[in-house]
Amino acid sequence: MSEPRDQDHPKTGSATPRVTADLEARIARARGQRAAEAATEQSRQGDMSGMSRGLRLGSEFVAAIFVGAGLGYIIDMFLPTRPWGLVVLLLLGFAAGVLNVVRATAQMNAETAVPKDTPALPDDEDQ
Amino acid sequence: MAEQPIEPIHQFRINNLFDIGTFGGNGTPGSGTHLAFTNSALFMVLTVGLIMAFLIMGSSRRAIVPTRVQLMTEMSYEFIANMVRNTAGTEGMKFFPLVFSLFMFILVANLFGMFPYFFTVTSHIIVTAMMALLVFFTVIIYGVYKNGWRFLKLFVPSGIPWPVLIAVVPIEIISFLSRPLSHSLRLFGNILAGHIVLKVFGGMVVALLGAGAWGIIAIAPFGMAVALTGLEFLVAALQAFVFAVLTCVYLHDAIHPGH
Repeated sequence: MSEPRDQDHPKTGSATPRVTADLEARIARARGQRAAEAATEQSRQGDMSGMSRGLRLGSEFVAAIFVGAGLGYIIDMFLPTRPWGLVVLLLLGFAAGVLNVVRATAQMNAETAVPKDTPALPDDEDQ
Repeated sequence: MAEQPIEPIHQFRINNLFDIGTFGGNGTPGSGTHLAFTNSALFMVLTVGLIMAFLIMGSSRRAIVPTRVQLMTEMSYEFIANMVRNTAGTEGMKFFPLVFSLFMFILVANLFGMFPYFFTVTSHIIVTAMMALLVFFTVIIYGVYKNGWRFLKLFVPSGIPWPVLIAVVPIEIISFLSRPLSHSLRLFGNILAGHIVLKVFGGMVVALLGAGAWGIIAIAPFGMAVALTGLEFLVAALQAFVFAVLTCVYLHDAIHPGH
């Protein structure tokens, strides 16, 4: 970040354009550094939050199953369908959990999209 | 001190600080609703007080060249405002006060919990469940108010033949109903588990130090406790952020139903 200030800048205004151009280049360089720092910071945080991402997917999945089973249980309490309400809605809850996980994953992938010009990794079938 | 068992869930106990009174009931012990000012309530008041002090201090000067506090206030505003615009759309900005309040409350409550001997408000599911239900009912009420019957299109994905819809609509409804559960469980679970694990490793250090020469291996759980403390700070901020992001995602559904 900290470059040495230019020591030999002219006292008079004769070389002012040169000094300003130099300053511009230095600002541009510093901006570039900041962007690179931000990018590395972001990738590091992306790695660190892997656990929270996993917990999110897990809770999405489990919550749907619990809600499905709970709804089925309530239906069976009030209608003479025991045990089919619980059975059917538990399975539907499982499907809803998968749906939740797929949606959450799609959203996470959209947030951290792979850049378009990334070269494809070579694999066995290319040979 | 040494006889006292190490109890990792003692930190979540609710104590009555002073009684407010009993409402309803017929006078016999155990009937009616007993209200008291608890340690949980105390920390909620402290959380709200700190947020208010921070925001009032930060926004009172309105200097063009901001002080540190003003800069932090403006950054927190910008951060949430950008998130709401990106996730819920520009129309979602009318819910900015809700999202900002939820984010700041959860963030400050989680960070308060990182002080030793402090009570963590968000480690009780009743608190997180009420916040998640607040969002859930906001989505339903605003969605029906704004879109009327078209809000139900949320459960009917477009471009699907009707025989498949018989299976898909119940799945979508269960998926919708599971939102407040996963929304509240995630915050509660992360905070609860983190604090228990921290306490277990801390207790292990104490137990090993009391074991004479074997006390030297207490350095291992101590290192874990230090590392986990750092991780818990990350979790505290991250879970506040995740709660706010999901609030925005759900609000987006209320504003634009239909996928």
